[in-house]
Amino acid sequence: MQEKKQTAMNRRNFLRAFGGASTTAVAAVTLSPGEAQAYDPGEEETRARYRETEHVKAFYRVNGYETLKK
Amino acid sequence: MARMKFLCDADRCIECNACVTACKNEHDVPWGINRRRVVTINDGKPGERSVSMACMHCTDAPCAAVCPVDCFYTTADAVVLHSKDLCIGCGYCFYACPFGAPQYPRVGNFGSRGKMDKCTFCAAGPEEDSTEIEYAKYGANRLAEGKLPLCAEMCSTKSLLAGDGEIIAAIYKERVTQRGYGSGAWGWQTAYRETINV
Repeated sequence: MQEKKQTAMNRRNFLRAFGGASTTAVAAVTLSPGEAQAYDPGEEETRARYRETEHVKAFYRVNGYETLKK
Repeated sequence: MARMKFLCDADRCIECNACVTACKNEHDVPWGINRRRVVTINDGKPGERSVSMACMHCTDAPCAAVCPVDCFYTTADAVVLHSKDLCIGCGYCFYACPFGAPQYPRVGNFGSRGKMDKCTFCAAGPEEDSTEIEYAKYGANRLAEGKLPLCAEMCSTKSLLAGDGEIIAAIYKERVTQRGYGSGAWGWQTAYRETINV
């Protein structure tokens, strides 16, 4: 009986110790969050793709045929 | 630096919806999504007016302001794009957008809507230019090919203008100076008689 009681105590001690350790770990994680990271596209993503090619110039010329031909 | 803008000359739009069709075809846009649409007011009545609408690539974009995952970014040529890898499909941008530009592939709440899809000014997204993965997510990258959005390029009445804001503004300004605006524009009296005031 004495031996069984000892086993039970050990288990409880283990759980208590384990639970306490887990709580501490969670608290540590909660208390020290990392900085929020906003999406920061690089220069390659945000660089200008537009170029005034012959194709684009033709579009402006055709659309401004009434006005820009002068 | 040129700033990309759309401008729809409502006096010229004939509601043919070719811009809508061209966009869907060029970018292989899935069923249920229209990146561009034609809105008509006073439909069937004198003074009917149509305007082709899509994302207007706002300078201070409200979609970007409300996005909880901050997936929007503006390129150096003022095109508002977004990352579908980050988008969670929450729908906030749809509520914020004054033009109804953001679209979702599925019906549902929160993430079940799928990734948001919108007009990219034919500039695709953050992936490497003109790659298959970029095409699958965002469609064609015509700007990188030295072209302009297809909707504007193939507009039969030259109503939809796209490109450098200063140049298309100059084209429109000259048009208005020459023809007048609204009921003063040439063609209106012929089509609707002189008694029609718009």
